[in-house]
Amino acid sequence: MDTTVLTAPQDLAAHRSKALVVGLVGLAACGLGFVLNRDQFFRSWLIAYLLFLGIALGSMALVMIQHLTGGTWGVFRRVLEASSRTLPLLALLFLPVVLGMSTLYPWTHDDLVRADEVLRHRQPYQNTGFFLARALVYFASWIALAWTLTRWSRRQDEGDMSGNMLLQRVSGAGLVIYALTITLAGVDWVMSINPHWYSTLFGFLMIGGQGLSALAFTIVIATLLVKDEPMSGLLKPHHFHDLGKLMFAFVMLWAYFNFSQFLLTYAANLLEEIPYFIARINHGWQYLALFLIVFHFAVPWLLLLSRDRKRNPARLVWVAAWILFMRYTDLFMLVTPEFASTGQNLHMLAGEHESLFFVHWLDLAAPLGIGGVWLWMFFTQLAQRPLLAFGDPYLRESMETAGGGH
Amino acid sequence: MATASNVTHSHPSPERMSADLLRPLLQTSWRFYLLVALLGSIVAAGAVAWVTQMFFGFGISGIRWPIYWGFYVTNFVFWIGISHAGTLISAILRLVNAGWRRPVTRCAEVITAFALMIGAMFPIIHLGRPWLAFWLFPYSSERLIWPNFRSPLVWDFFAINTYLTGSMLFLLLPMIPDFAVVRDKTTGLRHRIYRTLALGWRGTPKQWHRLESAMSIMAVAIIPVAVSVHTIVSFDFSMAPVPMWQSTIFGPYFVAGAIFSGIAGLIIAMAVLRKVLRLQEYLLPLHFENLGKLLLVMALLWGYFVFNERLVTYYGNEPSEMTVFWQTQRDNYAPLYWTMVICNFVLPLIILGIRKFRTITGCVIASIGVVIGMWLERYLIIVPSLGHKYLPYSFGSYRPQPAEITITVATFAAMCLLYVLFAKVVPIISIWEMKAGDHPSPSLIPPATEHHKLGELHL
Repeated sequence: MDTTVLTAPQDLAAHRSKALVVGLVGLAACGLGFVLNRDQFFRSWLIAYLLFLGIALGSMALVMIQHLTGGTWGVFRRVLEASSRTLPLLALLFLPVVLGMSTLYPWTHDDLVRADEVLRHRQPYQNTGFFLARALVYFASWIALAWTLTRWSRRQDEGDMSGNMLLQRVSGAGLVIYALTITLAGVDWVMSINPHWYSTLFGFLMIGGQGLSALAFTIVIATLLVKDEPMSGLLKPHHFHDLGKLMFAFVMLWAYFNFSQFLLTYAANLLEEIPYFIARINHGWQYLALFLIVFHFAVPWLLLLSRDRKRNPARLVWVAAWILFMRYTDLFMLVTPEFASTGQNLHMLAGEHESLFFVHWLDLAAPLGIGGVWLWMFFTQLAQRPLLAFGDPYLRESMETAGGGH
Repeated sequence: MATASNVTHSHPSPERMSADLLRPLLQTSWRFYLLVALLGSIVAAGAVAWVTQMFFGFGISGIRWPIYWGFYVTNFVFWIGISHAGTLISAILRLVNAGWRRPVTRCAEVITAFALMIGAMFPIIHLGRPWLAFWLFPYSSERLIWPNFRSPLVWDFFAINTYLTGSMLFLLLPMIPDFAVVRDKTTGLRHRIYRTLALGWRGTPKQWHRLESAMSIMAVAIIPVAVSVHTIVSFDFSMAPVPMWQSTIFGPYFVAGAIFSGIAGLIIAMAVLRKVLRLQEYLLPLHFENLGKLLLVMALLWGYFVFNERLVTYYGNEPSEMTVFWQTQRDNYAPLYWTMVICNFVLPLIILGIRKFRTITGCVIASIGVVIGMWLERYLIIVPSLGHKYLPYSFGSYRPQPAEITITVATFAAMCLLYVLFAKVVPIISIWEMKAGDHPSPSLIPPATEHHKLGELHL
């Protein structure tokens, strides 16, 4: 196969510079927010950060699953790989979270820890030093994985097939590492915002959400690519059908996990757990909860039932883009009700406090800032490699199979 | 799948295939009667134990305050778990159109049907007055006392019955063409029975088409049903505010555990069938290797769930949960707990993780470990938590009595007995699906060629 035709279309460069402009404007706004209202800035930053981290990590996990299982959706591997190669940038973008630790996480305050039995018990694990050390380990392992996977994938392009078996082994081990690190990272970065709440399902919520974000993002990018040569001739409806089916499955998983968590917590009504949901079904948050149920689950589910829609990128892309927005809303719901409308963590305020529904302008600026810069990095990475992993021995099969009959 | 062609092409000729796969139906040796008598007597012993328990009352069992759930509920969860072998494995393999599934699917689907029936017996065995089991049913009750729709036990009733209906259909549908084959090979009473079962199957293109549509609908529909069943079984625990039960991860945890034990059960069943019915040419090492890999994946997933559950419980540090936590981790139940970890995680990881050991024997050893480990897992979820509820006045321990042990053993015998009898009356490997595997068509069922139209004569 002539590989020179597989380079990214010129359009990407335009998207790339647009993304950078949006990103810089967003970041400038975030800088302003940092000066004006530091509490809000850190909260908004964390939420937006989680969305793009989710796309990158979810993509990496999907690459590994693809190496292990094969399947026609392997044609999207380069998009997924490019997402996973943005992890070094995401490590950099994590720095504001580190700066904001004392605003975001109650356990960073010694007086609060001393006054609270549970926090005292957790102190050997949950302290600033170990938190940072763990974050370092997470990023190191993620970047190492992404780097190894894409390096060997490049070797395949060069015709070196010796790494194929190794790719599978690394993927197997990598999925285990991913599952463990993201569970721990979820506890560290999100769950510990509320010092007493805990849910064993939380790791799965993170994993499921990241998988869904990555699939939705890949569909959006693939729809962009399919407009031009070379992908317009290569991507067929059944490839989109595969992604659509996977997205459909993940939409159901999201609902399943969230329903399980809600029902069990609600029914048990225990002191440690129920405040999490009380905060989210009162004071205006209940409307956001309903919005999530209807538009993160019910409507996408109904839309994705259609086989024709899944096979037609021009129609599927709207569902995917919508799901990306809903992923952001879901992460917003995960974090924000733990904060007062001033942006302070409720659990650090003296006395009893409740969060009333609020959205801050930084909740728009932060995703634009992080997203813009991240997209710029993503397009840079995407343009560096041929758009098709043509060295993949399974790719021929995935290009030829008519498939998608179910 | 690239492997599909390699597998199917090594198959014997269609004539040999029919002869091989129908042999157990048409010939009966004395070993069959001996086996049935042996298994039957164990099942009978279990029945006697149950009647004794009904006659003398529940006091003869070890189930007493504060531990009201013992072996019976352990068995209930265990068997429902085993039942996930069939539907999920078979439905998923059908959906991804894995070529190697063909000789495996029916072995798996049968496990589902029988394990579910056995599992569904246990809530009734567990009743002191089993004749009141209908209180679970949604019968008309004007005072609305029974059934209690907020009880997960009632949800169980619906979930399990839906699943049983669905998996029976899933099992029976692809059996129709095979019944037709048997019908054509037999005479007399047997011919008449199979003629009824074959539902007038003639192998016309229309019939093949309808079968194909029905199977693809069932394969999609059965997956959410299977997931919901074990989620609802997990709700039996997690809806109750009992330490270490009220855990949000229980739904996926139980589903994963169920698939895990289901695959293990399937591997054991296939290995026995392969030996006893001389199916070496049909159930190939490759099938065990692939199922072994699935088992390995599930072992890793199981490890994740247990690690996650333990970690987050420790993180939450709720005092009563920590009591149970340490009971299993290092006190009374620690020997059982670590046996479970070795059986479910260490052993499968070593045997299945190393390619050299992933032979048929290796897979069977790992599977036996997993079956034991998963039974222990359910036991360890139930007993330590019930024995250490919030206040020390309600602490207690559990000692299974002969009645419970006998009934437990009897259910394993019952599973074997049902399986043996099934393999006697139905080809345990789907004949037409094996033959369809030789066709190049990637679709679920081959297009209706002349060969199939004449199914009655040639198949």
